[in-house]
Amino acid sequence: MPSSAEPVRSQPSGRPHLDVDRVRCSGHGICAQLLPGQVRLDEWGYPIVVDAHVDPSAGARAVRLCPALALRVGP
Amino acid sequence: MSIVDLIAAAGLTGRGGAAFSTATKVSAAQEHRARLVVNACDGELGAAKDGWVVEHHLAALVEGARLVTPPGRAVTYAAHRGSAAARRLASHGLPVLEVPARYVSSEESSLVSLLHGGLARPMTKRTPFVLGGADSAGRRVPPTLVLNAETVWRVAQVAARGPQWFRASGTAEEPGPRLVTVAGRVARPGVQETQAGVPVAELLRAAGGLAPDVGSVLVGGLGGVFLTAAEAHAATWSTAALRPLGASVGPGVLDVVDPHTCPLLVVDRMLAYAAGESAGQCGPCMFGLPAVAADWHELATRPSRGVHDRLRGRLGLLPGRGACHFPDGVARFAASALRVHQDHLGDHVAGRCDLVRSGERALVG
Repeated sequence: MPSSAEPVRSQPSGRPHLDVDRVRCSGHGICAQLLPGQVRLDEWGYPIVVDAHVDPSAGARAVRLCPALALRVGP
Repeated sequence: MSIVDLIAAAGLTGRGGAAFSTATKVSAAQEHRARLVVNACDGELGAAKDGWVVEHHLAALVEGARLVTPPGRAVTYAAHRGSAAARRLASHGLPVLEVPARYVSSEESSLVSLLHGGLARPMTKRTPFVLGGADSAGRRVPPTLVLNAETVWRVAQVAARGPQWFRASGTAEEPGPRLVTVAGRVARPGVQETQAGVPVAELLRAAGGLAPDVGSVLVGGLGGVFLTAAEAHAATWSTAALRPLGASVGPGVLDVVDPHTCPLLVVDRMLAYAAGESAGQCGPCMFGLPAVAADWHELATRPSRGVHDRLRGRLGLLPGRGACHFPDGVARFAASALRVHQDHLGDHVAGRCDLVRSGERALVG
C-alpha cells in the first residue's frame, strides 16, 4: 500500500492515537491549535497528523472542540 | 472442506487490486451474515477484465457468488450504468447495482454506500464494512462484502477443480491464474489469462509487442506507475518483482503509451481528469488534485525549479489523508511520471518538444 504522510497506526505506544474522519473534516484547524507540534495544517487548512499519539486529556479536548466532530481518539 | 477452507488452501487473494486474503473476507462475511456485492465495474482506466468475466464466465460467476454468500443474504452485481456488463447481467435476470460513470464510484466503500441508498462516494473506514459499520453521518451500514468479479469467478473454479489446481500456476505468494488487460498502442489489445511470474514481455508479445519507438508503459492505470519500455521488457509480472519499480500487479492493467504524443501531455490530461474525479469530500484531495494538475501543466509549459519543488511537496501530502486511496494512487502515478519522463521534461526545459502532431495542442509554452 502507498506510503503515508501520517504515522502507521498499528504500532502500540501505550498512548491513545488521534484519528481524523476525513469526510467530516472541513478544515477549521482547531486541532492544530490544541495539539501544536502534533498536528499542523496544509496550505488549505486541513490537518497533517505529524504525531498521532496524543496525551489522553489533550486528545479528548480536541475531540470535544472540533466543530466538525471529525476527531476520535482510539486505543 | 468448507468454501473458506478451500479458498484458504488455494491462497486466493483479491483480483481487484488490493490483493487481500479472500478467505479472511469470506469468513468474516459468513460470520456476520453479510450481503455480497460483486464488483464488475472495471473501475481502473484501461481495465476490461471484469466485463470479460461477465461476458465469458457468467454461470461460474453466479456460482461463485452463491458459494460465498450465506443463505438468505442478497447478492448484487455492480456495473457501470450503460456498460455491456450491466446489460448482460440484467438480461440474465441478475440484480444489478448501476454505478455512475465516475472514477471513485466503483471503490469498495462507494459501492457499499450506493447499495444502501447513499451516494457512490467513498466512506471513511473505521472497521471493514464486511463487519457492518456506519457512514460519516452516523447512519448504520449493514455488513456488506465486496469482491471483485474475477475473484468470485476464481472461487467457483477453486470449488470445482480444487486448491491444488489453483496453486499449480502463479507463484507461492501470488498463486493461481489471473487476468490482465493490455491496452494502448498494441496491435491486439485485450484481456489475457496469465499468472504471476511470467515475463511482462510475454504479455506484451501476446498483444502484438511494442513498437521500437514506444517509450513507456503504464502499469495499473491512474493509480499505478510508469515503466520505461526497457524496464517493461525486463520485468516479471509479480508484485515482488515490480515492487522495486514502485509498481504492483494491482488490477492487472498494462497501458502502452502512444509514442507519438508528448508524454507530458498524456500525463497532463490524466491529471486534469483526476482533478475532476475527486468526490469532493476530503480537503487534501479536493484541493490537492487540482493543484497538482496545475503544477504539472506549469512544469510542462514553463518549467522551473520552483514549480518542480512545489509539485513534489504537494505530491508528498496526498497519501493517507483522504477517506480512500484515490489521492494516494494519483501521487504514485505523478511521481512515477516525473521519474520516467525526465528526459522529455529536459526537452521542454530547452523549449522544444518533437512530439506535437499537427493540430494537437502543444505543451511547450
